[in-house]
Formats: sequence, C-alpha cells, structure tokens
Amino acid sequence: MQTSEELVKSLHPLEVRVLLGFTENQIIDAAALETSLGYNRGQANQAISWLSQKAYIEEVDRNTVTRYELTALGRDYREHGTPEERILRVLATNGPMSMPELSSSLGLENRDTGSAYGALSKVGAVAMDGDKKVRLVDAEKAGAVKAVRALLDRTHDSEILEAGRLASDELAVIGRISRKRGAGSAAFRQAETEEVRYRLTAEGLRMKQLLVGAGLTGEEIGALTPQMLREGNWKNRRFRAYNITLPPGRVLPGRRNPYCEYLDHVKNKLVSLGFQEFDGPLVESEFWNSDALFMPQFHSARDIHDVYYVDNPRHAKAIEEPYLSQVAQTHENGWETHSRGWGYDFDRDFTRRLILRSQGTVLSAKQLPTAKVPGKYFGVVRCFRYDQVDATHLADFYQTEGIVLGREVNLRTLLGFLEMFAVELAGATEVKYVPGYFPFTEPSVEVHIKHPVLGWFELGGSGIFRPEVTQPLGVSVPVAAWGLGIDRMALMHLGLDDLRELFSSDIENVRLRRAE
Amino acid sequence: MPKIEIQQDALFAYVGRRYNEDEFVELLTCAKAELDEPADEQGMMKVELNDTNRPDLWSTAGLGRQLHAYTGGSAPAYTFFSTRDSMQPYGDRRVVVDADLREIRPYIAAFAVSGAGISQVLLDDVIQTQEKLCWNYGRKRSSIAMGVYRSDLIEYPVRYSAVMPDGLRFQPLGMEERLTPAEMLSRHPKGQEFGHIVEGFHKYPMLLDARERVLSFPPITNSADLGAVEAGDERLFVEMTGTDLPSLLIACAIAACDLADAGYDIHPVQIEYPYDTPLGRLIVTPMYFQEPVDLDTAHVAQVLGAELSQQEIMNSLKRMAVSASANGSRVRVMPPAYRNDFLHPVDVIEDVMMGNGMERFTPLAPTEFTVGRLSPVEEFARRVKTNMVGLGYQEMIFNYLGSYREFIGRMYPPEQHDVYAAELVRIANPMSESYAYLRGSILPHLLGAESISAHAVYPHRVFEFGKVARAEAGDNYGSVTLETLGVLIADASADFNLLNQDIAALLYFLRIEYELRESGDPRFIPGRAAEVIHNAHPIGVFGELHPRVLENWGVMVPCAAGELFFNSLIESR
Repeated sequence: MQTSEELVKSLHPLEVRVLLGFTENQIIDAAALETSLGYNRGQANQAISWLSQKAYIEEVDRNTVTRYELTALGRDYREHGTPEERILRVLATNGPMSMPELSSSLGLENRDTGSAYGALSKVGAVAMDGDKKVRLVDAEKAGAVKAVRALLDRTHDSEILEAGRLASDELAVIGRISRKRGAGSAAFRQAETEEVRYRLTAEGLRMKQLLVGAGLTGEEIGALTPQMLREGNWKNRRFRAYNITLPPGRVLPGRRNPYCEYLDHVKNKLVSLGFQEFDGPLVESEFWNSDALFMPQFHSARDIHDVYYVDNPRHAKAIEEPYLSQVAQTHENGWETHSRGWGYDFDRDFTRRLILRSQGTVLSAKQLPTAKVPGKYFGVVRCFRYDQVDATHLADFYQTEGIVLGREVNLRTLLGFLEMFAVELAGATEVKYVPGYFPFTEPSVEVHIKHPVLGWFELGGSGIFRPEVTQPLGVSVPVAAWGLGIDRMALMHLGLDDLRELFSSDIENVRLRRAE
Repeated sequence: MPKIEIQQDALFAYVGRRYNEDEFVELLTCAKAELDEPADEQGMMKVELNDTNRPDLWSTAGLGRQLHAYTGGSAPAYTFFSTRDSMQPYGDRRVVVDADLREIRPYIAAFAVSGAGISQVLLDDVIQTQEKLCWNYGRKRSSIAMGVYRSDLIEYPVRYSAVMPDGLRFQPLGMEERLTPAEMLSRHPKGQEFGHIVEGFHKYPMLLDARERVLSFPPITNSADLGAVEAGDERLFVEMTGTDLPSLLIACAIAACDLADAGYDIHPVQIEYPYDTPLGRLIVTPMYFQEPVDLDTAHVAQVLGAELSQQEIMNSLKRMAVSASANGSRVRVMPPAYRNDFLHPVDVIEDVMMGNGMERFTPLAPTEFTVGRLSPVEEFARRVKTNMVGLGYQEMIFNYLGSYREFIGRMYPPEQHDVYAAELVRIANPMSESYAYLRGSILPHLLGAESISAHAVYPHRVFEFGKVARAEAGDNYGSVTLETLGVLIADASADFNLLNQDIAALLYFLRIEYELRESGDPRFIPGRAAEVIHNAHPIGVFGELHPRVLENWGVMVPCAAGELFFNSLIESR
C-alpha cells in the first residue's frame, strides 16, 4: 500500500494540474482541459485516462457527438470559393458567358459547373438568356451560398465544427455539403464520436487536498536541461519528485561470457601459482598426440572410434628429429630409458597421421623439448573426442593440463601441487589421493576432493611422466603431469547441469546468465 | 576401461573376509578399481578396472587375489608354470602348429583343466574373463582369441592348421548348418563381426584334433561338436591364439591362475612350432617368461619422495602379490606370472606406492620458484575482449566442429562451394554430419546463434575470440590455426557504417594501422564489404551479410558481420 506521500509523488504534472484546476462537480472532459489548462487533445486524453484509472475522476455521462471536419476540398472552397461563389464572381466581372466558357475560365468540370448553375438558377440568382449565355440576375437571392460561406469561414479557428454548436439552419446547410464516408467530393466529413464527461471523485478531492497541502502546482521542474543551468532559472523553483520505485528499463550491455570468465579465473589462478601458459594448433599428429606420450600404437584408446582423423591431408610431411627416432626406439626397445619398451615395430607412417588433438597432454609433451628447469606450464586446451554429444559429452571441450619440471619433483611434491589446486581452484575442504592409471605417468594418482556444495568428486588425474615420455624428448629431470576436470566446477559456478549449455548459442540465454 | 560383473559372495570368498560397501570402495583403490554398481538382490555388482595393463584383475579370481594379498594374505604359489629352463610334464597333450600360420596368426597357448564339475557361476566368470581378455587386452580378438572345450572329446595331438577358405565344412556354435570358413565370414554373426581379422589371408586358421574334427575357427567361433561347454563339465581344454606371444602367454597365465584359484588342476600342453618364436620352437604352456626387475632403493626414494628400507619395499610389494628378495643393496622383483606390466622400474615403484597405501605419503609444498605468465595469444585476446565489451558487444563461445551445410552450404553461392570447402579441415571419420568439419570461420557460428535468437530483444551485438583452422598446403600439418575475432550486429539498423566505426575504434586501441579495400567476398553484399589490410596483408573482412546468406540461415534482420585474424600481430609482439 502506497503512502499518501508516495501517491502524490506518483502523479504526473498533467494529472496534478487537472486535480488542482477543477472543483467538485465541475465537468471534466477533453474540451474543458483544452480550454482551461491549454492542453492539446493528446495531453487531455492522457490525463483523463490516468486519472480515471486511479479512480480520481468518475464518469458523469457519455454522449454521442457529431462533428464536421473540413476536408481538403472544403479547404480549397474556403480559400478559393465554392463553384457557386466563383460563378457569381466571374459573371459579375465579365458579364454573361456560355457554359463551356464558364467551365474553362473557372477550371471546373462541365458537370460541376452544371450543378452549381442549377442551384443558382433555381433560386433566381442567375438565368440563361436566349443565346445560351448565363447572366447574373440577383446575387442577393443566392442565400444558401452565403450560408455555406459563413460555415467555411468559421473553420479558420477550428477545422472541426461540432454539431452541438451549430444552429438548426446551419445544420441543414452543413448536412448538404458533408458526407459520412467517401468525403473526397464533399467539403466536410461527418464523424460521430462518443464523448465521456467526468467529475472528481471523493478520492480525487482527497488527492487535491494532499496536493495543496504539499504545495505542488504541476509547474515543478521535470527534466533539468542544460538551458536551465545556463540561465539559472532553476533557482527558486521546485523539482518534480519522481516515483523511484517504478521498474527500470532494460539495458543490453556489452559483457563477457560467464564461462569464458570462469576459464580466465582458472588461468589467473594457475599463473598466480607460477605456471606459464602454453598453446598450440588444433590439428596434431599421432606422434605428439599419443606416440610421444608412450602410448603404444596398438593402444585401445587410439582406435578409429576414439579419435577424429583429418582427411586433407592425411599425414604430416615430417616429424621433428631427433624426437621421432628417439620415441620410435623407446617404443620398440626402450632406447636409453632403461625401459624394455613395448616390443613392436613402430609405424613411422602412422605416427605422421593427422588428427584433431584428443587430449591436452599433447601440449605438455610438446612443451618438454624447450621447457626450462625448474619449470611449470599449463594450458586450457580445446580437445576433440569421438563421442555422441549429450549432457555429459561434447565433441569438443576444454581440458586443463599442466606439467612441473624440477629436481624436487616426486610423488610427495606432486601431492603438494594437487592439494594446492584442490584448495585454490576448487575450494576443497578435504582432499584424498588414490592410485590411478594413465598410460603416460607412473606412478599415477587421482585426486578426489570434498567440495562444500558438490560433495566428493574426482577433481583430476596426475602422475609423474614415465621416463619413456621425458627422456626421448630431451628432459632428464622428473616431470609431474596433471589434468583437472574444471567443467564440473564451471557448471556449478554457472548454475547449469548440461555441458552443452557452456557453449550455448542462445543470445538471450547467454545475456541473462550469471555466475553463482 | 573394462567393467566386470562379480558375484559378491564369490569375490569375498577369494578375499577371505566380507566388507561393507564403504570399506569395499576404499579397498578397491589398491587395484585401481571403482565400484560402479553395488551388489543387487542377486549379489551381483559391477566393478570398473582402470588399469588397462592389468588384465589379471578383470575377473573375480584375479581381483580377489589382489585384495587378498593387500589385506595380508599370502600370494598363492602356482606350480604348473614352465620356464625357459624347465618344462612341466605335459603327457600326451600336444598342439602341432602348421607352418603356414606364421604369417597369419602365428601363436597358440593351451592347457587342460580337471576338477569338480564346473558351476554356472564359475562358467559365467570364465566366459566373462574370456570376453574381457579378448576384447580389451586382445584388441577385439585381433591379437588374442580364446576357446574353451570339453577335453574328454578331444584326441591329442591337436593340430593348429591353416586351411583354404572352402577347404572343409563344420557346424559352428549357434547354427544348424555346416559351413565352410568362407561362408562363416559372411553368414555367421561372429564371422561378420571378426572376419576382417583373417579375411585378407589366402588361408584361415583352424583348430582340429587328431581325428580331424574341428575344435574351432580362431578367432571367429567354436564348433558345435567339440566347442560347447556346460555347467557340470569336469575336464576342459583351453586354448588361445594370437599375434603377440608375450600377451598371449599372459592371457594364458591369467586363465590358468583363475581356474587354479577356483580349485582346478591345471595340466600343461606342449606347443610345437615349425618356425622360430622369441621363446624357441617347443614351448610348454602355461609358461613363465618374465625377467626379474632390479630395484634401486635410491630410485624408489627419488620417485616417491620418501626413504623406504629394503624390507619396507619388499613388504609393500608383498601386499601387491609381487614377490621380491634382497639383492645386495637392491631389491630383486619377480613379476607375477599373470603380469607383464613392469616395463621400467618406475612401474614397480608404483606398486611399492600402492602397497604402502597412499596415506604413507604426505603432500609436500613445492619450493622451486618459477614465473607465471599467460600465453601471448591469451594476453592479446584479453585486450580484444575488453575493447569489444566496451564497444557494447556480448561475448559468445562456440564449439569448433560443424557441418558442411553450416560452413559452406549456407554461406556461399553453390558454384563456389567446392572452392571454399577446399579451405576447410575435413574429418575423415565423422561420427555425424553435424560434426564433420573444423571451422574455418566464426561467421557460421555467429549466424547460427542469430538464427535461434529472434526472440531476444534487438539489437544483437555479439562476438567470439577463438580459434579457426584453414587448410594450408605449405604447412607441415597441411593446415594453420588462426586466432580469430568474429563479430556480428543484427538489427534493423545494422549496416556497414555501424560495424566500420567499431572496427575502427578496436583497431585504434590495439594500435593496429590498417586500411580498407573493397572485398569481393561472396558472403557479403557487393560494394558493402571491406578487406582489412595491415602491412600490405589482409588480416580480415567485414561488411553487410548478403541477404542470400541471411535467408539460408532463416535470419530476418539485417546483419553486419566480419572477422579479424591476429596471428601475425601476436607473433610480432
């Protein structure tokens, strides 16, 4: 329920002036507002509409009102004369003329000249003489012409004549020169409207008292303009108070995508922990995607049904040496890594096969030849999987991966990193480590965390890169590798439960999306 | 990663005690296993095994063996293994291999089994083990296929032969007719599924007994005569054929140890090859062929970050059912007969870790200092994004894969489809037409967004900063990845000028000097598209999208759109 003060504030100046300008039982209608308050028709209707909605005014009666509106033809008659007037005028000046001469000198159709002549001759104002010429008899007898002229002249003030303000003889005249429809050939268009008359209600009178009490006049300053500031005429005037509780309009701001912002947050965290970001091409070779990670070429995850192969071209031109040879030998017999290798013939054509990278660890491996020691690197990497797309699988998605190189790297410092990620990135309240399996790390550890909202879940996988991964790529110190499943946290952060929503194309949906 | 179904009671019998669900989940971590579905009313549960190099865990007996040892039980001693130096007695049980198999499917391993009548639970478990071994470890039967038979019906020596595709007829399991091997490939369901493994050879593998009766057509199916096994059978013959001898021997060892754990006697079989194998021409299986691994205690300390004594290392390995002995300052480790995953000492060190339990290793905060830094692409992208947001654009993020229809069909006039399709990176094995190409432009994705967003209040001002890929013959990989800004304005008033002023503002703040040149890009209205030229090279295009393009996407408002490629600018920074 609004207070009286709020009700007063919520009134528009157009309403205020009506309430103040009228007294009990005084008739309020559009015409009255136009006359007494100087409103135009639009303002008057608007004020009446608002006030009656608020029940500050009530209907007294309603009447059908007939109006005659001047048409374009009527305007022409008013300025240049009706055909009858012009015939009388030209005959008075030029003397008798034949009908065709009349038509051509007045620029009228023969038909119109004919009907005007008919009307004039009927009352005896003009007559046709023996040689078929029209002559003026007595202009004074054309009383109807004068009556029409009187009506036309009245339209100088308002082009609308109200039937109620016309005398009965005037109504008879205007009736002959007006039409309800198809008024193009008549001087006036006849229109009927329903006019409602109002008066103040008790509530309206109460508001009036409140307005008077508050000292409001409806003349308060609305918008403060540069002109007012320049001229200083805002001084000693009051400002209209706005209803500040009205719902605001909607803006369409430029803004970041909340999922991208979350990815930025993850990157910022990792940078703050001393990690340097890496990046790379979307198309990769089998060599970097899997061979360099010591996944045997017959590994089940390298099946045609797990990886997207590129069709054009199918193979890389070359793989960097000496890494190709060293990796190939490591697969075959362990090379110098003290491993016995996988014991099969490494396929040097297959290793050049081009694919869309299927795991972020590719970029970790590619970083190794140029990595610094000690060094920490990470990437938020777009990966592609041969998966049916649904709420928990996407054809392409981000993996967050990284490596740590250094003499101090071992299982316990790896756990130290995992704990740091769990707390810093995921807000974990408890952390648990369990043995895991990844083809390229040994030992391998999964980190499970207890999240304040999500409960226990697997945050990521990690391990120490196998010597068969690091040594062929020229790294002699231990390398810890880790990957974090951040999409689950991203979904929670954004209040979503479907991975496809992260990449939503719906503009409205993305516009309105908010982080938790 | 394989999932297996396990009878809870049978498993706990192997482990030696029962566990509640929480304890069991915890215990499973020592086998890198997870409880996928807890026991149902029949006591069946599902367990997922994560280590693809430990097929010995993919059965009730195998998993039970690991859990038994981990909880303090002793590893069973298996006495039926032959080694390189000593063969176990094999009696008359011989398999003679045909010389032609050398190029087709060269290896076979086998053993016989006797004991009490096999129960249905055990039979189901044996069949499951067979499936998991052959599918996951044996690469869908291509490197390992396994068959089980009633040995009473078989007369030794068994012959592992190569026969012509129409060389004989026999009745396969599950069919009434007698078929030739060639007919089986086209008509038998297993022939259709696995026929490709042998189809290219002029002869097919065939297992026959001394009386020329067919045991099976490896790796396709058993015969109905000798290859049908039922609950209650007391004597079995088990064989495996394949292409890789070590993994075949591992699979053979796993099957033999599982049956031995179930209380059966294992009877070795001699395999006689007419050609050389890595282990000679006469092999008695099951065979132990693994080499010992010597573990340096200093290496263990370096990897695990904890000093463990020789004895602690041996104790922890014992909990992993791995036998080890002191060898000077080192530890000599004998891989179990059913395992071949110790490629490198680090593999043993992981077992030491697991045998200790993870709680033995406390996290250690890292101390080595390194400088954190975003990539140059990310640094640049953030500047672009900040400017675009300031210019009133909303950021979008799209998937990178799409269809020919989106990337080409809806964008270009039909006569130019081939030219522009050649610029895209095409997937050779798409799962669906919807994800068959890597995008070469962001515009289709922006239009895709517009096409489903007519309900959103206008104007729409959207952008994405992301990657696209284009075919590039000169590149080593045949394609380049471009760091791209895509932008689109959809509105009744969207036109060239509106976008032009935003591009001008963006490039001003990025300090990129450029000029515009009229573009003939057919995606835009002629005369209302500009190529952005920087240092005499085009770095992008923008303009008013052609109504043909809008119509193709079902977009009913004018759109100004474009994209800028920033690689050269990022690299030169």
